[in-house]
Amino acid sequence: MSNPPVSSPRRGALPRLSQFALDHLLLLPLGAAIALAWVNFSAESYYTFTYRISFAVNDVAMVFFFALMTKEVVEATAPGGELHSWRRVLLPVVAAVGATTVSALVYVWAVNRLEEPMLVVGWPVALSTDIGVSYLVARLIFRRHSSAIPFLLLLAIASDVLGFIMLAVFDQVGDAHVVAGSIVVGVAILLAYGLRRAGVKTFWLYLIGPGAVSWWGLFWSGMHPALALVPIMPFLPHGRRDPGFLVDAQPTAHDALSQFEIWWRYPAHVTLFFFGLVNAGVPLHALEPGTWGMLIAALVGKPLGVLLAAGAAVAVGLHLPRHVGWRELFVIGLTAAIGFSIGLFMTTALLTVGQLRSETSMGVLLTLVAAPLAFIAAKLLRVGRFAPAASAR
Amino acid sequence: MALYAAAGPQAQAPPLPNRPNSLKFAAIGDNGTGDTPQYEVGAQMAKLHASFPFDLVIMLGDNMYGGQSPSDYVKKFERPYAPLLAAGVKFQASIGNHDQPAQVSYNLYNMNGQRYYSYARNNVRFFALDSNRMDPKQVEWLEAGLKSATEDWKICYFHHPLYSNAERHGAAVDLRVKIEPLFVKYGVNVVFSGHDHVYERLKPQKGIYYFVSGSGGQLRKGNMGSSEQTAASYDRDQSFMAVEVAGNQMFFQTITRTGATVDAGEINRQTRTSE
Repeated sequence: MSNPPVSSPRRGALPRLSQFALDHLLLLPLGAAIALAWVNFSAESYYTFTYRISFAVNDVAMVFFFALMTKEVVEATAPGGELHSWRRVLLPVVAAVGATTVSALVYVWAVNRLEEPMLVVGWPVALSTDIGVSYLVARLIFRRHSSAIPFLLLLAIASDVLGFIMLAVFDQVGDAHVVAGSIVVGVAILLAYGLRRAGVKTFWLYLIGPGAVSWWGLFWSGMHPALALVPIMPFLPHGRRDPGFLVDAQPTAHDALSQFEIWWRYPAHVTLFFFGLVNAGVPLHALEPGTWGMLIAALVGKPLGVLLAAGAAVAVGLHLPRHVGWRELFVIGLTAAIGFSIGLFMTTALLTVGQLRSETSMGVLLTLVAAPLAFIAAKLLRVGRFAPAASAR
Repeated sequence: MALYAAAGPQAQAPPLPNRPNSLKFAAIGDNGTGDTPQYEVGAQMAKLHASFPFDLVIMLGDNMYGGQSPSDYVKKFERPYAPLLAAGVKFQASIGNHDQPAQVSYNLYNMNGQRYYSYARNNVRFFALDSNRMDPKQVEWLEAGLKSATEDWKICYFHHPLYSNAERHGAAVDLRVKIEPLFVKYGVNVVFSGHDHVYERLKPQKGIYYFVSGSGGQLRKGNMGSSEQTAASYDRDQSFMAVEVAGNQMFFQTITRTGATVDAGEINRQTRTSE
């Protein structure tokens, strides 16, 4: 997006986001809403249709969604990026470890307590945070330059990285050739490195060469091939300046990362709609222990984990970011409880067709309630835009 | 299909034929509560065994609720069915959502460490499936097993029902779309499930007979909804099923914990176009 940064506090209340981010926030819920209506009116036709396209959507097309998310992270953490000069990286990473650990433990405790031990295998889903939605919520709660926003972003990214690592380790679907598949992915990374060293500037060669090899390696290994471009994207040449997190690349940008985004943002939009359609269709009677376990893990485990980990980190000498106190950390933890797109992806990857998947997916959808809860908490705790004017952060 | 009773307790139940050399078995689902009703159902099973010597019990999942320590295995399985176990009756379990994965290694469930498995008795091939995780491997295994089965009857059992008109859970339509085409293609005759804590017999769906028998210990009174799919149902008391397969006929009888018969009938083996 070419618009200049918003500077006035009044306009800053509505953050400017890329078309990609907005579509993420609109098309995915639209697909999810249609799926919910469809499955509850005509379940057989819904499942018949979505089973036919689920591989194309979840295992192939979603490659570009995760590639675009990786692009945002690569740009934000590169020199000149929004998160690069942010010095207190360690604390949000520690907080992410706390948030994911506690939410996973709470989930396991809850599903056992609710007498549905078969659901324990879904614990990595409890680690997920929807970066796009939680970022928007944080931007609406906190002021534009608040330290809470990069803290939340790093927390969300680190949580999802941990989740994907757990997914790779514990995803048991498919024939597992983990070692051989990992070697193939390693070869793909070396190929991408070679292209970068050779000064290749077009993203197409990275896509059809290392990208395709990586997809095949992940598929063969039994890990999820939708993540194929995640290890490849950091090798694509990028611009010197980051336009901002979830801000569209300039049409005039010629670096490979920006060109990749310009080419693939619209297919990714369509993918997100179909991703919601394929994965969010859960019958309303799926309000079962898995639903409540996931919801409790997110709403209790995430904020509690953030507070406990940050407390431990402060106890050993780390410092909280400027203008971020325990109340802000609680609101950040609640915001990070939103699992939505990443949670649905993890659920689909980990749990096969059946009631356990439906229960868990319903729980993931309901984590969206963390958004209004974060607003309520911010208002009650007088945090961010709800802070008294004199101490506004 | 001939029916002896549509639904509702019958004081005088028509006996199963009890023919020599027929396959006789019982079916229980959602049984492992360790509470009095489970023991009473177990006592009725033992009572029936005296006159109808079945040597197999298929378990439809949720074999154990709550704690699943060694003492729970005694309280919720070994003790309620002690007379049957002592008589050498073999239990073949499938697992439900309330079961610990470790149950597959419990000797008396005869799962040999497998989530899903198959075995043959007389002219019947049984497939015990894991409906918690119907992954591609299991679906491939099922298709290969159904395809190569040479027995006259193919019976599948697993926890989540493909058809159910109980209000609490209802049908697992997502699972149905995934595996029912295989059942139809390869000529599955009868399917038993649990999960809904009621008894229900469905009218044949795509030529297949479906039973829900999920009240072997649990019970959800008054939970049956009305549907044209339902051939018979009972949701007022705990129950189990007794089944006899003799040649091309299968006889069934559904008995409550007080010994009343609430449904019974006879199924003639479906003729498939490929046969």
